[in-house]
Amino acid sequence: MTGRRAVARTDPVSDPPSAPRTSLFKKYFRALFAAVALPLLIASASETWFGYHDQRARLNDRLDAEARLAAVKIQDFIEGIREQLGWTVQLPWTENIDDRQRLDALRLLRQVPAVASLTLVDATGKERLFVSRIGLNRIEGGDDYSTKPAFLGARSERAWFGPVTFQGGSEPFMTVAVAGNRSAVGVAIAEINLKFIWEVISAIRVGRTGEAFVLDGPGRLVAHPDISLVLRAEEAAQQPLEGLRDAIIERAGQSATGRDTTRTTVVAAMAQIPGLDWSVIVKQPLSEAFQPIYAALWRTGGLLIAGTALAALLAYWLAQRMTGPIRLLEDGVARIGAGQFDHRINLATGDEFERLATRFNEMAGELAISQERSERISRLRRFLAPQVAELVDRTGDDSVLDGRRVEVVVVFCDLRGFTAFSAQSEPETVMAVLGEYFGALEKVVSAHEATLLSFTGDGAMVLVNAPVSCPDPAMRAVTMASDMQMSVQKLLVGWRALGHRLGFGVGLAMGPATVGRIGSEGRLDYAAIGNVTNLAARLCASADDSEILIDRSAASAVGSAVPLVELDARLLKGFNQPVPVFAVVIGVGQ
Amino acid sequence: MPLLPSTYAEAVDRMRRRDFIALLGAAAVWTVPARSQPAAMPVIGYLGSESPGPYASRLKAFREGLAETGYVEGRNVSVEYRWAEGRYRELPALAKDLVNRNVTVIVAPGGAEVALAAKAASATLPIVFELGGDPVALGLVGSLSRPGGNLTGVSSLSVEVSRKRLEFMNELRRGTNVFAFALNPTSPTSASQLKNLQAAADSLGLELVALKASDEKEFEGMFAAVREMRAAGLVFSSDPYFAYRSDQLAALAVKHGVPAITQSRDFPIAGGLMSYGGDFGQSHRHTGVYAGRILKGEKPSELPVQRVTKVELFINLKAANALGIAFPPSLLSSADGVIE
Repeated sequence: MTGRRAVARTDPVSDPPSAPRTSLFKKYFRALFAAVALPLLIASASETWFGYHDQRARLNDRLDAEARLAAVKIQDFIEGIREQLGWTVQLPWTENIDDRQRLDALRLLRQVPAVASLTLVDATGKERLFVSRIGLNRIEGGDDYSTKPAFLGARSERAWFGPVTFQGGSEPFMTVAVAGNRSAVGVAIAEINLKFIWEVISAIRVGRTGEAFVLDGPGRLVAHPDISLVLRAEEAAQQPLEGLRDAIIERAGQSATGRDTTRTTVVAAMAQIPGLDWSVIVKQPLSEAFQPIYAALWRTGGLLIAGTALAALLAYWLAQRMTGPIRLLEDGVARIGAGQFDHRINLATGDEFERLATRFNEMAGELAISQERSERISRLRRFLAPQVAELVDRTGDDSVLDGRRVEVVVVFCDLRGFTAFSAQSEPETVMAVLGEYFGALEKVVSAHEATLLSFTGDGAMVLVNAPVSCPDPAMRAVTMASDMQMSVQKLLVGWRALGHRLGFGVGLAMGPATVGRIGSEGRLDYAAIGNVTNLAARLCASADDSEILIDRSAASAVGSAVPLVELDARLLKGFNQPVPVFAVVIGVGQ
Repeated sequence: MPLLPSTYAEAVDRMRRRDFIALLGAAAVWTVPARSQPAAMPVIGYLGSESPGPYASRLKAFREGLAETGYVEGRNVSVEYRWAEGRYRELPALAKDLVNRNVTVIVAPGGAEVALAAKAASATLPIVFELGGDPVALGLVGSLSRPGGNLTGVSSLSVEVSRKRLEFMNELRRGTNVFAFALNPTSPTSASQLKNLQAAADSLGLELVALKASDEKEFEGMFAAVREMRAAGLVFSSDPYFAYRSDQLAALAVKHGVPAITQSRDFPIAGGLMSYGGDFGQSHRHTGVYAGRILKGEKPSELPVQRVTKVELFINLKAANALGIAFPPSLLSSADGVIE
């Protein structure tokens, strides 16, 4: 935690955060795009899937209905013939042929073109009447039908439909036998030319081009819009149609896809004609039948593409909207981090981003204030004791540094023999000695809450009672000077052991001085200007090693609290009269 | 459509709308029609035994059939006509001429003579015939379902039903048993028709007198002979030469007071008594359809011979009145067309 903070603090400008592995924009874009495109894709896929199945089911139903309709039409055709035949078996047979029966038979031929010939058989199975379009009519032909399937079938089922035969290997025919409602009226047996179904089958249209066709039980083509296909009666040519039927049967009656005789892919459905074992199959070209399905697929595809494009646009716009403020914030934070505390992040998104920006701006403001403060503190610290500096700072009032005239004690101290020492010694040694020396002095000054105004060469100037006033400044100054002597003397012992001939003297004076901040914007100092400063400096210069010289004002202020020795008045530079000098007796009363 | 369930109708409706939308899209693409010039209009060679006049109704049916397959004479197909004007011996030369003209398909309608002339002219050029006889018996095709060669076509049932004409005449003239039978000795089917009819006459217990005529000039004498021998009626064999001369025959029948039956409905329409035969409108239309299908690339060997399904009985009550004959109910109820 602390480590990271330390790193972050080191220098935000010269060490910008390394480029991110992936951008937020990309992440947002992907997420938003996925959020829109994915449901769209799923919706489209399901729509396609269900739509396809829907359409397929609808197609199935439609073809199924068509097949049933076609089957009904074919059945109507056959039923029509059966019904007409029913009219010819109304009257019971007598010994001689009734002319009305003959006329009925002839009328049937006229009315039902599909009937090629009609045989009327009496109850015993004997042929009584035969009429034909091609052959000669017969009366009382007498052929025995009693064991023939047509006769037997009609007798048991009322109506009997024979298998499809191909006359001359080409034309489809079928025998239909109908019995009257009493056995006495016998049975009518007709040869039906199935070519006539063509009129029915060719009229059936499935969709635009779809057709219907009819297969009999064994799979032979009975009816087809292309009559020549029926007349060819060729199994190989009809094979695809039978294949279609097999495919439908395989799919349990559902419509099936396959190829017809023209190699066209078709969808086919089937319906059975009850009682005939015929399959009516309707087929529609796949392309036509699936057209609505294809149209729906194309539409869905188009919508999907449009939707995806829209999703991309939307995601781009949203991601841009999200990352834009973040970039602004990042830039702002970088500037603030670089110390540009007056920078303000301008965001009016009305959301959390704006709040965040406001917070950053507030933070920048606070940072500016705290930086100003710490700058001031560091400035004060240069000459005030740390605790004093803190105090000044806490009150937030640096008017104590303003210039004024006050009673101060100025203390000067310096080393004896330093010039010679510095000339002889290595710079490292000089610096080490000075480091120890000033360290010790600073400690003492600080302990006594005095103001260290400056270090000059091997000396120092300390002020007591300014800028912060204190009780009994003279006493404090004397005590401090004693402590200085004691601290430095201890060092001197060590240095002397190293062969450095150094000494330490202190001089202090008390009196009024003008104190305050002096200097320029770039360099600011706290200074005490007045005779007292000069006097203290002279006393220091005149003090011997381990000696503390003080002036009269200080001595009288100290009084008897500290043992003093009055020395001879000395002539000091800058003073016309000899100045009375007192020496503090070190080690006494301490 | 009204039988369909409403949901289906809706689905169809929706489909239409979709189609329309699809069409809108496609319209832009399809507005420039590919107007590729047909390499050359296909040519049908039409071989007729007579002249365009008697053929008019047949030609109409033929063109209807062509139109069913999408061909219209003069627009996307041209027709080269060759008319024998009743001189059947000229048919082979005319057929050869058509073959030399390099037509796409030869249409040879109007009887076995025309079909045989076309067959003799080319063994490779597709030929569509139209006749009343059995094309297998005539050697035109291998089988009805699979013709096999370069010929296919339509067979009316006219030749086969010749015996029915005798039966109808017998029905009308109950109580008499001598009938005259007119046949054209130059026709390839005359022998088989005579045999067929003789068998029918035998089974009906009738006496049949065969009269031959292969030229218009012999018609008058033939009718006179019928009247002279007091035959109950004159039954015509199926022959295009007779069929195309129905008006002439009807006039002679009226003139000589002879009850007669031919194969063509033109005969009772022109004043003759009866007709029974295949519907030439149907057969000629099918001929047109087959010609069109061959033009579209189908092979005659794979187009089965079609037999017309319709055989029609026409009767003329006015002619019966003039002859002092009454149609029995059996004929009246059987007639497909009654001219009053």
